[in-house]
Amino acid sequence: MPQGLEGVFAELVLGPALSQPELLALCEKLGVSSADAAALGESSERLHVYRELVRSNLREAMQLSIPRSMARLGPLFDEYFDRFLQERAPRTHYLRDVTPELLGFCAPLWTADPRVPSYLPELARHESLHIEVSALQALPRGHVAAPLSLEQGVQLGAALKLVHYRHAVHELPDDEADRSVPEARPVSLLVYRSPEHEVRYLELTPLARGIVERLLSGEALGSAVQGAAAAAGATLTEAVLSGAAQLLADLAERGVVWGPKVPQAER
Amino acid sequence: MTQESWKTLPKAPTLLPEPAVAALAPLGGVGLGLRWDFLDEVVEGEKLPIDFFEVSPENYMRRGGYYPEQLERLRGRYPLVTHGLTLSIGAEAEPDAAYLRELRAEIERTKSPFHSDHLCFSSAGARSLHELLPLQQSRKNLERVAERARRMSDVLGVPFALENITYYVHPGRAEMPELEFLNGVLDKSGAGLLLDVNNVYVNAKNHDFDARAFIAALDLSRVVELHVAGHSQRPSGLVLDTHGAKVADPVLELLGYTLSLTGPRPVVLERDNDIPALSELLRELQTLRNIYDDAARSYHAARA
Repeated sequence: MPQGLEGVFAELVLGPALSQPELLALCEKLGVSSADAAALGESSERLHVYRELVRSNLREAMQLSIPRSMARLGPLFDEYFDRFLQERAPRTHYLRDVTPELLGFCAPLWTADPRVPSYLPELARHESLHIEVSALQALPRGHVAAPLSLEQGVQLGAALKLVHYRHAVHELPDDEADRSVPEARPVSLLVYRSPEHEVRYLELTPLARGIVERLLSGEALGSAVQGAAAAAGATLTEAVLSGAAQLLADLAERGVVWGPKVPQAER
Repeated sequence: MTQESWKTLPKAPTLLPEPAVAALAPLGGVGLGLRWDFLDEVVEGEKLPIDFFEVSPENYMRRGGYYPEQLERLRGRYPLVTHGLTLSIGAEAEPDAAYLRELRAEIERTKSPFHSDHLCFSSAGARSLHELLPLQQSRKNLERVAERARRMSDVLGVPFALENITYYVHPGRAEMPELEFLNGVLDKSGAGLLLDVNNVYVNAKNHDFDARAFIAALDLSRVVELHVAGHSQRPSGLVLDTHGAKVADPVLELLGYTLSLTGPRPVVLERDNDIPALSELLRELQTLRNIYDDAARSYHAARA
């Protein structure tokens, strides 16, 4: 923990609201001289302004990112927001990354808290993905257009995430006042940024999920299709192969498939 | 794993000569702080009477997608200058090397003639506080900030300037007044000064000093840019630097006074909250331009 006045400021803005005696005790604990502590103590009302500013900046960033989850959590959100600030606090220079940091901290706590609906961590993650994917760094499209080959990997766009939920949170309405409960069913969702910079969502079948997962890990196309079919308990019938081809054509249309993966040395 | 030290970053090729004021050549007149609320309008609409845009690099660094692309398009239409928010130059911990590396790349992308950030701390250890917090005006802090600011031009490849911030409370006892602290940092670092006129006004109100006397006593030869913005007053009398209203008349008067002392220096209008239509901001910019032109004429006439 930073010492001195810097540490006191950090505790004041991130920690619980302090009375004047508590402020003086904190100053002593963090090695602030009694003269400096006395000067701070005289300004406790103005110090509180900084607490308001820091919290409203961070809260505003979260409101932009996960409004429906915050609305559903209500006062529970404030409780966890306080805990995040006190126990972890943002580490990033970038306000857009504060919400994923909050979710990383809260996800295990929410899962263990019976007051938090079981789908809520997934809804928050789903909402947060919009800003995350819109900002993902993507390499320039340096590939040479060429037909895909079963022996080669497939170059997928970099601005995408493949996520798996236990609830169909992506089907919930956008209305912040809505309190409907999502259907409990396994969902695999490809969240990607289109060439027009729109964030889009594509629900994948188990077979499609298997193929995309394997392609993302660098497998060759043929091996990815075979492996995914085996994992899904399907045999490599004409219909399965045709489905895989349709999936790849659809993903190419959406700007997700860029072409055959070019080995590093050939770039 | 050991943390990379910012002091080991290779020296960037200097894009412009020092001193900082020499970096002004590409900039002049009246600029606007770029906000996403009107980004599309200024990228795609007709060319507007705005001399340059000031950009918060953190909004475009280490990311892809729509906004960096729009910024690149904007750069083809208007000069840009970068103004950072999270350097935290006054923190106990050393500046973040990874952040500086990204920042340098962003400055190169935007072709900013210089870079500025705030004379404050905004982090505590590993924790990012996302607010500009006041430094104790002490000899130790003066030396620390000056040493870092002096190196910053080498790290970033462009001249570096510091902005005076608003402070609602001085943390602890001040070993020296703000004026001495600010002039001391500038003198020891060779950095430029981004003089926020509204911040001087707000501080003068909250700490009961004469804003004009404060400005007149600054080392104005270091001024590379001026900021103005709106503020609000709480029932308790405390004035807050909100960037959420029109620039108040006393701040406009103070801007004219400042320009009469500095001569023409680029002026930036900042608006972060309750952002109105661009047409309204353009009207405010015209007011600033009139003040800028009048002051420039008087300044040059007095020296003819």
